[in-house]
Amino acid sequence: MTTAMLETLREPLGEPFFVRALTAVVISGVTCACLGAYVVLRRMAFVSTALTHSILPGVVAAMLLGWSPYLGALGAALLTAAGAAWLASRRDTSEDSAVGVMLSVMFAAGIALMQQANSWRDFAGLLFGSVVSVGPEDLIVIGLTAAVVLIGLRLLHKELELASFDEEYAHLLGARPGLMRVVLLALVALGAVSCVRLVGALLTTALFVIPAATGVLLGRTLPQVMAWGSACAVAGGVVGLYLSYYFPAVPSGAGIVLCCALPYLAARLIAPRR
Amino acid sequence: MFALLPTLPYASPEKPGCGGIAILATTLTARARADGPAAFRDASFEIPCGCRAALIGPNGSGKSTLLRVLAGLTPAESGTVLIGDSSPRTGRRHIAYLSQRPHLTAYFPLKLRRLVQMGTYAHHGWLEECFHGDHAVDLALERMGLTDLADRAVHTLSGGQLQRGLIARAIVQGAEILLLDEPYAALDQSSREIIDRFLFSQRQHFTVLMATHDPADLARFDRVLEMRNHTVITQKACEGHDHRHA
Repeated sequence: MTTAMLETLREPLGEPFFVRALTAVVISGVTCACLGAYVVLRRMAFVSTALTHSILPGVVAAMLLGWSPYLGALGAALLTAAGAAWLASRRDTSEDSAVGVMLSVMFAAGIALMQQANSWRDFAGLLFGSVVSVGPEDLIVIGLTAAVVLIGLRLLHKELELASFDEEYAHLLGARPGLMRVVLLALVALGAVSCVRLVGALLTTALFVIPAATGVLLGRTLPQVMAWGSACAVAGGVVGLYLSYYFPAVPSGAGIVLCCALPYLAARLIAPRR
Repeated sequence: MFALLPTLPYASPEKPGCGGIAILATTLTARARADGPAAFRDASFEIPCGCRAALIGPNGSGKSTLLRVLAGLTPAESGTVLIGDSSPRTGRRHIAYLSQRPHLTAYFPLKLRRLVQMGTYAHHGWLEECFHGDHAVDLALERMGLTDLADRAVHTLSGGQLQRGLIARAIVQGAEILLLDEPYAALDQSSREIIDRFLFSQRQHFTVLMATHDPADLARFDRVLEMRNHTVITQKACEGHDHRHA
């Protein structure tokens, strides 16, 4: 029994594509869960959805022009963040509707560009994720973006924590809460770019929200929230990957997100009510 | 990692000393909201160092706006304010401001000890981790009667305990000027006594300006500023207490 189980776990590890996918899932899971702690606590889930969805036109445009899809994705995400900030800078426009406008416009532009390319099938991986196609160069990009995000979060931990908890006091001390928000949006854009290959533009936001929401239920301090979130993302990611390996009918992106939701449901049931 | 990085303060260093006057306002005009009417016009007053000053006036008279202008959180439309030797701006480590309703993120995973420790950030800057300051945090918690609650999550504290926690943060910050917006609202007797003991102790060397609605309170203050007809009238003046700034 035990031998059979070990063999079940060991068999996919013989495939280089599976090892690359596993590495990517672990790195991206930890990155998104740590960033996601701020996304969830600051109620930025909708902004993160807009940033991740807006990657679509960036990647399609980059592919049509022959540029790196990662650069296109990052450019589109940053453009969305800047556009939403500009629209919301008027007193009569709420941030919520500014983000909604940018999300719809960018996603519609993506669909129009896909029509230009005349091949929807090529972009299925972009929309829904294709973890099995993670190549060595993708791993380098994922590793680099994860390093930038995690080092940024570590260096600015006390300012990000302060600005997220008590914006007025951060302002009083001169710790620039407005700048911290911009930094956080840029880091979310970077994080989204690193995991679009794994779960697709439509589901990337789930990696930011679900593990971190689990962490918020279980952790009593911000580092604990990040640790629980990372554990949930890594466990969900690894189990989801094995699931789609043995059941090819389950796409890897959907498998990962569904497996991340299970620890959330468990935490929701067992975590003490606050 | 942090040891290798340069020290970058949040704001440029402040000029030391206050020359006897902690807060000096001259023909000050400000609005609560940029598109709203003026909360007060041409307000002029001074508060000497070490003075305990009360700020009274009916609801909507502009008390909160005045405190926010002094803290540098709301810009003045015209007139000048001098806090010590310089104009108000954020990044001033010697000013603490307690809002009537602190806008804290709900259910944020933070223990009371960490909240109080945030006061030490005023003495750090960017790219610097603060591992020290534990002794100051312990002392401040003890003075506010919060030692037993140090490891409690902030969102489980009562209104009074939270208010005391925020004052403990101001103590750790080493603030010399405390701007308090109705700190006694919704406080029980024991919380009120603990805060009173701290604010009105003769051994404390700071200046206080407190918005209050309680007429019975006023006898304890050295100076009373009243917001009336959209300006500030000084009702009772004190000579200041130089001994407090010894």
